Amino acid sequence: MLLMMAQILVCNNIHLLGYASPLIIGYMIVAMRRDESRVSLLLWGFATGFVYDMFSNTAGMASAGMTLLAMIQPSLALSMSPHETEDEMRISVHEFGFWNYTMYVFFSMMILHTVYYFLDAFMLSDIKLTVLSSFVSSAIATVIVVCLDMMLSSERNK
Amino acid sequence: MKNLFDFLFSYKHWFVFIFLEFVCLTMLFNYNGYQRSVYFTTANGTVGTAYSLISSVTSYLNLGDENEMLETKNEQLRQEVLRLKSLLSEYEKDSLVNISGLAPKYDVVGAKVVGGTIHKSNNLFTINKGTEDGVREEMGVVSSNGVVGVVYMSSSHYSIVIPVINTNSRVSCKLRGTKNFGTLRWVRGRADMAIMTDVPRHAQVKKGEVVLTNGYSDIFPPGIPVGFVVGVEDSPDGMSYMLRVGLYSKFETLREVSVITNYTKIERKNLEGKADSLLNSVN
Repeated sequence: MLLMMAQILVCNNIHLLGYASPLIIGYMIVAMRRDESRVSLLLWGFATGFVYDMFSNTAGMASAGMTLLAMIQPSLALSMSPHETEDEMRISVHEFGFWNYTMYVFFSMMILHTVYYFLDAFMLSDIKLTVLSSFVSSAIATVIVVCLDMMLSSERNK
Repeated sequence: MKNLFDFLFSYKHWFVFIFLEFVCLTMLFNYNGYQRSVYFTTANGTVGTAYSLISSVTSYLNLGDENEMLETKNEQLRQEVLRLKSLLSEYEKDSLVNISGLAPKYDVVGAKVVGGTIHKSNNLFTINKGTEDGVREEMGVVSSNGVVGVVYMSSSHYSIVIPVINTNSRVSCKLRGTKNFGTLRWVRGRADMAIMTDVPRHAQVKKGEVVLTNGYSDIFPPGIPVGFVVGVEDSPDGMSYMLRVGLYSKFETLREVSVITNYTKIERKNLEGKADSLLNSVN
């Protein structure tokens, strides 16, 4: 709920250079435990995207991106997790390590933003702008998500 | 059945994923005007291209039928051409139509050839129309194919015609499309061939050119076909060309002819007669 409010009230108002608006709602799926069932992930992803779409008047765009992210997340997490933590079910900076976690978040955000911006543009004529928007938004969202996760991890460790 | 359910259950997340994405896309196209318009425009273009491809393929496959249909149509048109040609030749055989078509102001009298020769030097034909039918001396006689000859003498019901194939016959002619004229004569021999003399040497004569009457003779109206050039030779004196002319009229089988009855211009004759008498009185 707090994540959604932060997205709608804060991040939706970020328009860096006019084309970058990070979708931090992706953190909802990124942070899911690895033992979560795929169906559950898919339903959470769709529901989160659906709520975002309702408030942002972008019917179907974020939902599609979040659903795809939820479908890929287990495979992505498995491929990015360090060997020594394969049995660890939680996904965070603390468990993955900073670079692994950052890369994991960045790729996840790239999937989400690419789907979102391509569905928004819906044409290949502005492909450069669409790719640029996806990349910059993913980078900003990654920074926000990593910072957020570091804060939450330190809170948990306390 | 159990295996099937196991299989479906093990891939249930795929079915859920596909279903949710379908719902997302449905929402996208239902609630976003821009995406919907782009989708329909692209879909229409794609469908149009697909239909065009299908049409190209089917039309190619139907080429056999198309070809057959064209062959049939071609055959029908060929038959039509033959029918029209035959009809046209029928009309051409009608001398009345031919002559009246050329010069509507001339009256013609139809006649039948009732006797004649084609192998003598002075061949003559007899027709079954005479003075009572308006036929007089020096009237032109034509057939559906072209010039036949000139009326030499007439009785009340019959007339004698000097045909072109008479060594004494002279018909003033010209080549079609030119102003080069000459005199058509006949030398004993073939009944379908004559010669045209006094054609100037500067005339560019080609084989196959049509020879017509030129209207100078006061007997035939201009433009009646006589024959066509089959050969070009020098005249004996070398001053002009002598053309071999194939005659259009088939004298061997000639039956139906027409006599041109009112072409002779009385006014012109009177004027020329008056001029002659004046010259004589002066002398």
